[in-house]
Amino acid sequence: MISTDKNNNIFGVFDEEDIFLEAMKKIKSAGIKIKNVFTPYPIHEVFHEMGLKTRMPYAAFIYGVFGISLTYAFLYWTSVIDIPIVIGGKPNNTLSFIIILFVMTINVGIVLSLGTFFIRQKLGPGKEAVVVHNDITDDKFVIVIEKPEDMSKEETNRINSVLFENGAIETGEKENIENI
Amino acid sequence: MYKTKVRGVLVEGNKSYADITKDIVAPIENRPPKWWIYAFSISIAAMLWGAWAFYITITEGIGTWGLNNSVAWGWGIVNFVWWIGIGHAGTAFSIFLLIVRQKWRTSINRAAEAMTVVAVLCAGLFPLIHMGRIWMAKFIIPYPTTRELWVNFNSPLFWDVVAISTYLMASATFWYIGMIPDFATIRDKTISKTKKAIYGFLSFGWVGSARGWLRFEALAMILGGLTAPLVISVHSIVSMDFATSVMPGWHTTVFPPYFVIGAIFSGFGMVLTLMIIIRKFYKYQAYVTDKHLNAIAKILIFISLIMGTAYSTEIFIAWYSGSEYEFYTFFNNRITGDYMIGFYGMVICNALIPQLFWFKKIRKNITIVFIISLFINLGMWFERYVIVITSLSKDYLPSNWSSYSPTVVEVGVYVGTLGLFVCGVLLFFKYIPMIAISEVKGVLKPTSND
Repeated sequence: MISTDKNNNIFGVFDEEDIFLEAMKKIKSAGIKIKNVFTPYPIHEVFHEMGLKTRMPYAAFIYGVFGISLTYAFLYWTSVIDIPIVIGGKPNNTLSFIIILFVMTINVGIVLSLGTFFIRQKLGPGKEAVVVHNDITDDKFVIVIEKPEDMSKEETNRINSVLFENGAIETGEKENIENI
Repeated sequence: MYKTKVRGVLVEGNKSYADITKDIVAPIENRPPKWWIYAFSISIAAMLWGAWAFYITITEGIGTWGLNNSVAWGWGIVNFVWWIGIGHAGTAFSIFLLIVRQKWRTSINRAAEAMTVVAVLCAGLFPLIHMGRIWMAKFIIPYPTTRELWVNFNSPLFWDVVAISTYLMASATFWYIGMIPDFATIRDKTISKTKKAIYGFLSFGWVGSARGWLRFEALAMILGGLTAPLVISVHSIVSMDFATSVMPGWHTTVFPPYFVIGAIFSGFGMVLTLMIIIRKFYKYQAYVTDKHLNAIAKILIFISLIMGTAYSTEIFIAWYSGSEYEFYTFFNNRITGDYMIGFYGMVICNALIPQLFWFKKIRKNITIVFIISLFINLGMWFERYVIVITSLSKDYLPSNWSSYSPTVVEVGVYVGTLGLFVCGVLLFFKYIPMIAISEVKGVLKPTSND
C-alpha cells in the first residue's frame, strides 16, 4: 500500500553501510516495523532484508509482446490490406517485416517500461522531493519508522534508543515521508 | 575497498562517499577552466561554419556539394556512418558491461553514453541534409498521405529511420535514467538556489528509497537488455543500405558483422580519447585509473584483429569469387589506384597501429594511448570513405566512372558536426556529473551490490 495521507515518522541516520545493515536486522528483530530506508546507492542486502521484489521484468516482457503484435498489425494493414502494392511479384506479407518488428518491439518495450517505472515510483519532472536528511544522496543511510498519532511516548523513546544503540549518529522526526 | 579478482581496486586513493560526491560535483559548482572556454569558443566557430554550410545546402541545393551522377553519396554518408559508429560504443560499452556485470564500467559509462547521444544527433543531421529539400523529411514518416501511399517498409533506408530514432531514444533514456540519482545529489549538495531548482526539477523527486533503487536497477537491466540487441541491429541496418545494392565492394554478406564491429571499434576509440581528456583535465585519475585504460586498450587489440580479419576476408573473397568487378574494385581501386591513400590509411590505423597495445609499456604510456585512440578515429573515417567513394566512383560501366572530392560546403557540414559534438561534450563536462556518482559509490565497498 502507498500511503498518501499525512504521516509522521521517526528516522535514524547512519554513516557506515555495515553498521546500517546490521542495525536493520536488529531493529527488525526488536519487533519494530521499518517503513522505508534511504541509501546513496543501491544495496542488494537492503532489498533482501525488506523483502522487496519487483515485477517490472515480467511487465517488460508483456510490453514487448504487445509491441511486436501492434507493429505486425500495422504493417499487415498498410502493406496487405490498405495498399497492397506488388513490386516485382514479391509478397506483401513479407519476412523483411522482421527488421521493423525487431526494432519496434524494443521501442515499445522501452517506452512502456519507462512509463511503468515513473508511475510506480511516483517520479516526474519537477516533483517536490521529501528529503529525510540532506546527506541521503551523499554519504548517509537512513532508516524510517512510521509514528502513528496514537504511538505512546514510551514507544517513541524505545525506537529512538534502539536506533542509537545500533549505531545511529542522529535521530529525528519528519512528516510525509513516502513509503515507495 | 571493492576488489575485483582481475582488476583490483576500482576507485583509488581511499576515497570516502563524501569525497566522491565532492570530486564529481566540483566541475558543476566551479567556474569553467580557461581551456574549457577556449575549446567552447572553437566549437561555436566550427558550428558557425556548419550553419553556413547548412544554409547554402538548403537554399541552393545539393549541387553545392561535390557529388555527381556516379558518386551520389559523398561526405554526407561517409560522415553519417562515421558518427553512427562512434555513437555505438557508448551504449555498447555501457550496456554490454552492465549485462555481464562488469563493475569497472561505472567510472566510464556516463561519458560513453553522453558521447553516444551527441554523436547520434550529429549523425542524424546527415541524412536530413542529404535530402537537400529538408522540409520534405516528413515523407519518411509512415502516415496515410494524400498520395495514398505508405512508405516502403522493405527498404533499408526506412529501416534506418526506425532503427536510428529508436536507438537515439533508447540511448538518451538510458543516459538520463542513470543521471536521476546524481541530479538529486547535486540538488541536495549545491548552495546555489538556481542550481537547486534546476537539478531539483531534473531529479524528478528522487530520494534514494529502497524500492526506488530496486526498480531503478530493474529498469536499468531492462533498458540494457532491450538496447543491447539494438546495438547490433542499428549498424547491421546501416550496412544493409550498402549490402542490399548491387555495387561492387558493397554487395557482400560480411557487411553487417563488419559494420557492427567497426562501429564498436570506433566508439571505443572515441571513449578512450574522451576518458583520457576527462582524467587529465579534471584530475580524475582515482576514478579513471590506469587499469581502466588498460582494459579498454586490451579490448581494442581484440577488435582491431577482427577488423584486420574483415579487411582480409573482403580482399580474399574479391579474388576467390572470380567476379571481375569485385576484383577490380578491391585491387585496382582500393589497394592501388586513386584512393589508395584512404585504403592504406584504413588498414594502418585500424588493423596495424592498435596492435601496439600488445606491449605493456605502450598501454601504460597515456600519451601514446591517446595518440593511438586518435589514429583509430581517423582510420575509421578512412574506412567509411573507402567503402562509399571507391565503389561508387568506378562501377560496371567505364563510361559512368567519375572521381569525387568534397567542396568547402561539404567540409563545412562535417566541421559543423564536429563543433556540435565538441560543444555537446563540453556542456556535458560542465553541467552533468561526468562519472556516475551513485554507481561509483556502489563499487567502493565489498558488500555493495554483491
